[in-house]
Amino acid sequence: MRPSVYLAYLSMAVTILIGNCVQANTLSGEALYDAACGACHSLGTSTDHRIGPPLGTLLNRQAGAIQGYRYSEALSNSGWTWTLPTLLAWLSDPDAAMPNNAMNYVNHLTATETQLLGEWLLQQP
Amino acid sequence: MTLTLSRRRLLEGAITGLLGGMSSGCSQPGSGRSVVVVGAGLSGLNAALILERWGYEVRVIEAKARVGGRLWTLDHMPGSPEGGGNIMGANYGRVFHMAHELNVPLRTPPRTLPADYFIGDQRIARNSWATSSANPLPEAWRTIPPDRLLGKLNITNPLLGTRAWHDPVLMAGDQSAATGLRALDFPDAAIELIGCNNSYGNNLSETSLMTLYRIMGEFARLSGPALSVKEATEGNMRLPEAMAMNLTQPVRKGEPVIAIHQSASLVTVTVESGRTLEADAVVLALPLPALRQIEVTLPSSQQALLENIDYHKVVQLHCIVEEPFWESSGWSGSWWTDGLLGRVFTRPILGTTRHNMTVWINGDDCDALNSLDDATCIETLTQALWKLMPSARDVTSVGQLVRWSTDPYAGGAWALWRPGQAATAHEAIRTPAGRLFFAGEHTAEAYRGMEAAMESGERAALEVMRLLA
Ligand SMILES: Cc1cc2nc3c(=O)[nH]c(=O)nc-3n(C[C@H](O)[C@H](O)[C@H](O)COP(=O)(O)OP(=O)(O)OC[C@H]3O[C@@H](n4cnc5c(N)ncnc54)[C@H](O)[C@@H]3O)c2cc1C
Ligand code: HEC
Repeated sequence: MRPSVYLAYLSMAVTILIGNCVQANTLSGEALYDAACGACHSLGTSTDHRIGPPLGTLLNRQAGAIQGYRYSEALSNSGWTWTLPTLLAWLSDPDAAMPNNAMNYVNHLTATETQLLGEWLLQQP
Repeated sequence: MTLTLSRRRLLEGAITGLLGGMSSGCSQPGSGRSVVVVGAGLSGLNAALILERWGYEVRVIEAKARVGGRLWTLDHMPGSPEGGGNIMGANYGRVFHMAHELNVPLRTPPRTLPADYFIGDQRIARNSWATSSANPLPEAWRTIPPDRLLGKLNITNPLLGTRAWHDPVLMAGDQSAATGLRALDFPDAAIELIGCNNSYGNNLSETSLMTLYRIMGEFARLSGPALSVKEATEGNMRLPEAMAMNLTQPVRKGEPVIAIHQSASLVTVTVESGRTLEADAVVLALPLPALRQIEVTLPSSQQALLENIDYHKVVQLHCIVEEPFWESSGWSGSWWTDGLLGRVFTRPILGTTRHNMTVWINGDDCDALNSLDDATCIETLTQALWKLMPSARDVTSVGQLVRWSTDPYAGGAWALWRPGQAATAHEAIRTPAGRLFFAGEHTAEAYRGMEAAMESGERAALEVMRLLA
């Protein structure tokens, strides 16, 4: 195959690949999580070197429930349970949702992105 | 295209585990899209790593012969002192995670020796500060050492949350530290001392009171497993170096960007040699004084801001001390002065009897020093050192003069917000302009310093992904 034809063929393949993706213009919950949360939080339920608690099995988890993680008093005593509405409230403005928490984070995601990310996160083991 | 695909596969292998869980091609929004990142400091490198992970073709262009920017480990000196960023705060989640993933060892820094005071040409042992006749503070304040005076601000600190430091309502009442501290009943002598070694403005008239509140308040917000501050065991520059090594395409070093032009569909980046690169988007991950040197058209409000944000002036003289000469004379080793020398930080080089001694001068006091050539500047500082510590002369050698304001690719140590400025400026300065995106310490919202650089790289990467997905 001549290189140019080969390249054209390949780029076609790639276009099809991308074309098959649902919502090519919206970032996936996974990509959003990776870029916005993953440096501070792992999934699963065991604490590691990261400064935030692990966020696996989050749906219906009590806030501040991970054993061995040193939460702020505000979060431990919040009485919150993690569901989509509480998670969205937390993410859109953590300080307003729960004053004196220790998550030093400002959410730069759009409302749609936050929603997508939240839905994705609440399904993670 | 072949390149893109195979590189992506390579990358998946190489970076598996870096933040975990890469998945199918469908979650690779970046295929075939190219991004140029200008600046290989923490912010640019973090943006580049995230973008590569998601399939973008990333080229990082760096003006200097090294990566790291305002992290600059002086590797040619014993003890490898830091000429730039030195302390990783206990809550630097992204910095710690990156170091962990890339196997860059961190440690709790060796303790800097305590400081005595040198005020109005009088030496005051730290234990006699409260009773010394050279202590200029009024009775109720005398027990507070000069470097703790700002702590008094926390009694009235109105800033409670992460975003409060630029809250428009609070900022409406922002004022200069010079007037604000007086209004809070800080005595003149205390204000004067605070002005001597102020890291948060070049002088107290241009220092924002809210900024001081922000910094004082930050110390209170720590959580998680990392409770102590850290540094990279082999020098902080090892972190950006490791990040650069993990990029698929090597950072192009020694290539200052001089012009950037964008059309509706493309950005063209010109480097000093005249060569051009084309990209779908550009991340400008460099400090504002360096950005000012680049020919680029920005929205007029952003352009005006670009000219109006100050950078902190820092001059450092890094020395090596062969023997702890201060011990015989009963001094502690470090100094806090109200004069030319600013502060002198001395700390042991572990496993040896030597010490690193760093003279650190802040703010407008740097102006006179910055007008001198290197040799005269070093001579001026060492003469002052020998006057303060005559016995230092025979056992101390000079290793490196560091001047951040005169570095064309930095232009200062960090961005400063003038009184009231942060209310609108902090957001305006990072707002994407077409295909141009902004990263760097000065564009972060939650953190300052190294973690701010990392935070800003995340945000900029997300914005690029949003545009190009
Ligand atoms: C003296 C000093 C002490 C500090 N202490 C601390 C501390 O204790 N703790 C802390 O957290 N932080 C500290 N900091 C701040 C910290 O080092 C910075 O916030 C952080 O390193 C900035 O990263 P950045 O990516 O935003 O910018 P930089 O690291 O400045 O990266 C920008 C890069 O862009 C390059 N560049 C500039 N112009 C061009 C051009 N035209 N073309 C191509 N490339 C260009 C530069 O060479 C540089 O490599 C300190 C900084 C200094 C200077
Ligand atoms: C800079 C680090 C950092 C980033 C980035 C960050 N977090 Fe956090 N997060 C923390 C810390 C620290 C805590 C603990 C807060 C406390 O104890 O008050 C936390 C707590 C949480 C909790 C409560 C968990 C529990 O066990 O109750 C959730 C949920 C959460 N974060 C979600 C997120 C999501 C989703 C993102 C990304 C959009 C994110 N965080 C980004 C640091 C971070």
